[in-house]
Formats: sequence, C-alpha cells, structure tokens
Amino acid sequence: MDSPPQMPELPARARVSALTTGDGRGAGRPSWLKRRLAGMAPLLVLVALCILLGILSPSFFSFRNLVWGVANQAAIPLILAMGATFVILMGSIDLSIEGILCVGAMIVALLCANDTNTNNFGWLGPLFALLACTALGLVSGLVHVGLRIPSFMATLGMWFVGLGIGTVILGGTAVRVLDPRVRAMAFLRIGYFPMAVWVAAAVFVLALLIERRTRFGRYVYAIGGGEDIAKLSGVPVARTRILAFTLAGFFTGIAAVLASAQLGQANTTIADGRLFMTITAVVVGGTALTGGWGGVVNSLVGTLTVVVLANGMVLLGISPYVHETVQGLMIIAAVALSVRRGARLVIK
Amino acid sequence: MAIDHEMFRAAVHRRRFLAGTAALGAGVAAGALPRYARADSPPMLVTSIRSLSNPYHAVWKVGADAFAKQTGLAHVTLVTEGNSEKGISDINAMIAKTNGHMVLNVDPNNTPDARPIVEACAKAGVYVVTWWNKPADLHPWNFNPHYISHIEFDGASSGAYIADELFKAMGNEGGFVAIGGIISDSASIDRRRGMLAALKKNPNISLLDWQTADWQSQKAFDIMSSWLTRFGPKIKGVWAANDDMGTGALEALRSQGLAGQVPVVGIDGIKAAVEAVKAGEFVCTVTSDPYWQGGIGLSMGLEASQGKFDPAKEPRIHREFNATTVKITRANVDTYIKTEVDSHPQIDWTNLWNRVASPISYS
Repeated sequence: MDSPPQMPELPARARVSALTTGDGRGAGRPSWLKRRLAGMAPLLVLVALCILLGILSPSFFSFRNLVWGVANQAAIPLILAMGATFVILMGSIDLSIEGILCVGAMIVALLCANDTNTNNFGWLGPLFALLACTALGLVSGLVHVGLRIPSFMATLGMWFVGLGIGTVILGGTAVRVLDPRVRAMAFLRIGYFPMAVWVAAAVFVLALLIERRTRFGRYVYAIGGGEDIAKLSGVPVARTRILAFTLAGFFTGIAAVLASAQLGQANTTIADGRLFMTITAVVVGGTALTGGWGGVVNSLVGTLTVVVLANGMVLLGISPYVHETVQGLMIIAAVALSVRRGARLVIK
Repeated sequence: MAIDHEMFRAAVHRRRFLAGTAALGAGVAAGALPRYARADSPPMLVTSIRSLSNPYHAVWKVGADAFAKQTGLAHVTLVTEGNSEKGISDINAMIAKTNGHMVLNVDPNNTPDARPIVEACAKAGVYVVTWWNKPADLHPWNFNPHYISHIEFDGASSGAYIADELFKAMGNEGGFVAIGGIISDSASIDRRRGMLAALKKNPNISLLDWQTADWQSQKAFDIMSSWLTRFGPKIKGVWAANDDMGTGALEALRSQGLAGQVPVVGIDGIKAAVEAVKAGEFVCTVTSDPYWQGGIGLSMGLEASQGKFDPAKEPRIHREFNATTVKITRANVDTYIKTEVDSHPQIDWTNLWNRVASPISYS
C-alpha cells in the first residue's frame, strides 16, 4: 500500500524566526525574487484590476469615483479587516463581527438624537458604542482563552449573542439617527475626502504601528507561526490572544459608528454580509488563514481589491446574474496567485 | 415563494413595536397552558411565523396580539426561525395540546410545508389560513371546510405601481436606475417584472442600469455611490424593490446633496420610508400591512369555528386571492402617520373580504 504522506519537519529555527521577520515557517527556501513576487502578488492583482477597469470604463479613474466609489466604500470594510487581520495572523478566526457591529450601531442610534426615544447624548453615544464593542471583543477573548473553546465556536457564540441583544432591544425595528453631529462623522468633507475615509486611514496607520512597532504585534506573528514554540520562548500567549480579540472588538466598534452614521439608522440586519466580505478581503490580501503570514498592509490591498471589484462591476454595468460568479473567480484567482506553494504545508 | 414574506419588510410603527416587546414572552408561555377541552370553551388562537427579528413579522405579531386582546382569547405565537421541521412539529404539538380546539394563521416557512400543515389541521378539525407559500396544486376547496383561505400579495402590480409613480415624478422622461433584491427571490423577480412592464408603456423613460443589493441598505448605498460616479446627473429617479434598499440609496444621494432632488420609490412601508415620503425624498411606498395580516387570519378562523360563516360556501375568489396593498404617497402620508404610526390602527376585524384584490395566477 501507499506509504503515509510525508510530513515535512519544520525546523524550529524557521518558526522562531517568525519572531523577528514575520515571515516564518515553511520548508525549502525559494529564491529571493520568487519570494518577493509571491509577496507582491495581491498588489499586482489589484493594480492589474485597476488598469483593466480604467481601460474598460473611463469613469473609473475619475476623482469622484476614486473618492466616493472606492475610498468611501472601502472605509468600513478596511476597518473591519484591520481587526480581523490580527486574529487571523494568530491562526484564529473572528466570526463575531456582524453581531458586535449590530450592537455598536444600535447603541449609537439609541443614545444620540433619534426617532425612537428622547435621548440626546451626542458624542457619548459613539463613545459608549466603542466601549461596548471593545468589551464584547474582550469577552470573546476571555471565553476563548479561559474556557479553552476554539475561537471559531467562541466568536460564533458571540455573533449570536450580539444579534440576540439587537433583536431583543430593537425587535426588528429600525432606529433612525437624527443627530447631525453623528451623521457628520461619515459625511463631513475635509479636503475632498469624507470623514469616513480619514477615520479609516487613521485606523490603518494605528494598525500598522501596532503590527510593526509593538511587542504585541511581534507576539501575534509568533503565535501564528507556532504557538508551542512561542510559549516556550516566553511569549504571553493567553494575554496576547485576549488582547487581539479585544482589539478586533474595538475596531468593529469604530466600524459600527461609521455604519450607523453613513446609513443614518441601525437595525438588526445592518451588518449582514460583513463577515464574509471581511474574511474575503483578508484572504485575498494574502494573509494565510493558518496564521503567521501576512499583515495589515496585505489586508489594505485585499480590501481595495474586493471594493474595486464591486465598484467595477457596477461601472461596467455587468449583469447581476453573473456578479457572484465573477466575484468567486476573482477571489480564486487572487488567492491562487498569492498562495505560498513553496511552503509545503498541509492544505486544509 | 419561499422568502417572499421575509423580504416584504413591513411598516414599523413605534407603538405597535412597544406593544410587541411587552408581549414577547407570550410564545414561551405556551407550555404552561392547560390542555384545552373540546367543549364550550373558546378556541385558542395560534400564529406561526418565521421570526421576531425582522420588522415584518414583528408587526404581524403585534396585529395578532391586538386581535386576541379585543376578543379576549388566549393567543400563542410559534416561531419557525427558518426551520421547516420545527415549524411543522410545533404546529402538530399545539394541535395535540389543544385537542384540535384552535384556529391557525400560518405563514409557512417554505412552499412544501403548507401541505402537511393543512392536512394535519383538516384531520384535527382546525380552521387554518395560509399566507405566501403553498404548492400550486394545493387548494383550500379540497379541504372543506377547514382550510379557509390562502392569501398572497401581487409583487408585479406593486412593482408596476411604484414605477408609475416614479415616472410621474420624473415628468415622464429621463433615465432611472433600479435596485433589485436577492436575484432568485420570487418577490424580487415579480417586482422587477412589474417595473419592466410599466417601463414598456413609457417610451421616453430609459432604464440606465439594474443591479441587485440583496434587500440590504448598505449594499444599495454602495451601488448607488458607484452609479452616481458612472451616470452622474443622468439619474433622474431611483426604483428600489424594497424600502431598506431605497433608504440606503437615499443616503448615498444625501451624501452628494441630492436627497429630495432625485425621487426614490420603494416597497414595504418601513418607518424611514414613510417619513421620507413626508419629507419629499421618497415619492411613494407600498405595504402589505402585516398588522392586518396578523389579525385577519385569526379572525377568519374564529368566525368559521363559531359558525358565523361556512368557508365551503364562499366563492373561490375568497379562498385563494391576492390582497390589496396599502399605498403611501405624498397625498395621504400625513393621515397615514396620524392613524397608523402615531396610534394603533383601527381595523374592523369582522370585515373579512374587503381586501380581496385578484385571483392568484400560477406561472
């Protein structure tokens, strides 16, 4: 009979090197050029897509489209992807995005001037929403680490807890945001760009600093590269994991504030479809679901790819009947180009 | 017609909702109810719907509770949560518990579900009304007298009606964009068919593009933003297959300072849309009035079980029909808000057939 599949032994050195380079495990050493190309593949896909759309549709590169069609539409997905990136880098997954976003948007709408109650707390609404979302992220992390429940199940539970809270409080109704200050958080224009884009840019810079300049950022890669080794090396695994989920909750809170400000309302379905879009963006950007490889820059590229694709299909007037097929093919193509085949890992 | 009703997002009214939350626990109480004797006691009122987290069914339940309160009868709401098995077995359990001494108003989770539900009811002597979903070859008159009626709403005529109103607001010329729901939903397909039929009658109107936003506000917002950069001022109107998407498109227009200048139409009569009609940003919206649906189905069952009418003797148009929708335009929006939003609607539950519109056609 066949011999059992050979499992490549991972040299411990390669794993630990994740601590310093963020480019850890994998057997064999592909040439420098090959590695650089594989790393650049998501960006190349994005550039090629933009050029293609620019040729096919003259309005794609118009300033107005780049601001309102691309940048503004990418703002919320980018912020969500920033939070998801750290979790995925650890090799975990955060499914609670839609539930937490729903709770955050609901808190914003119910605390600021709205059409359902007489509250008018202005800035306190978004602040409380941020706190609540961060707290929910913290709970996800505590449940995951403390009770040793896989992140998949812990955050799946938190997703439904969030939606449940939304359902009980909103009962299926929509609450409209009437406070112009809250609406301005999405629409106020500063130098051609709406506020949402500036917020997203700030969040991106923050995430980049966390990834590149903090110990936490290094630890995340170490855990994703190999948790056992990281633990032996003295990485505070439990604390890092909890912090990563808390951070994801915080970023989801920012997205929740922007979502309610942008749509001017909150309801239980406000976050529908966000989870899939976020994980797609992270993966298309080249961050490995197995952890240890990728980063927030990858997620920026991935988010832009997904948003440009959606924008392009509307600009080209592609029939909705083929949208999903085109989207699916693009995702497979983007991931196929960026996957690191040099690393002979098990493909799950 | 599986997902029709869920998408037929409803008029959401503040007081109805408040009353609804107060009664949320009612479903849970079902287990504690005593076994009903068949004798002289009045029948139990039973509602079976999809969930309480969508506005449509939330208002449905409020209407059903209002009817129950008026009649002073016990009312139980069963929720399928999108699970056909659960829906059917909950109904069977309730039939067993009440010994068949109940009336049922049901929005079957899926088309095939209607048959086992109706058969179980007919066998136990339960009067039943179904909405939206049933197989084309299942007819109330084959289960006399217990299967009273099957009621739907004609998506094509709603789609055509709001399109006509939109075209009028556009001065019967220029281009418009249309946003559909989930592409394979029959509600989405029917409403679009109606819109296209209305378009055919207006040669000076052109459809710039049609895209689908899966019934979601956020997706409609994004699509509308892209359309605005693609077509710019060529867009003279927006047709949306539901209000949630219509309000999403409206917010995209607002971000460009175009709210109120480009007319928008939608379906469902959600509160945001009704207020947009009042503000002059929406031209009109249409609702199936789930409050009425929740009460009238129970009323039919109760009157039949009390012998006030014999379903078997009703004409076929009363047994299987499309009901009329409530249309909200600038002309009646003030009255609508006063009577339907700011106070409980006054409905004559004994007038069973005043909303019969047209026979259901099976394609």
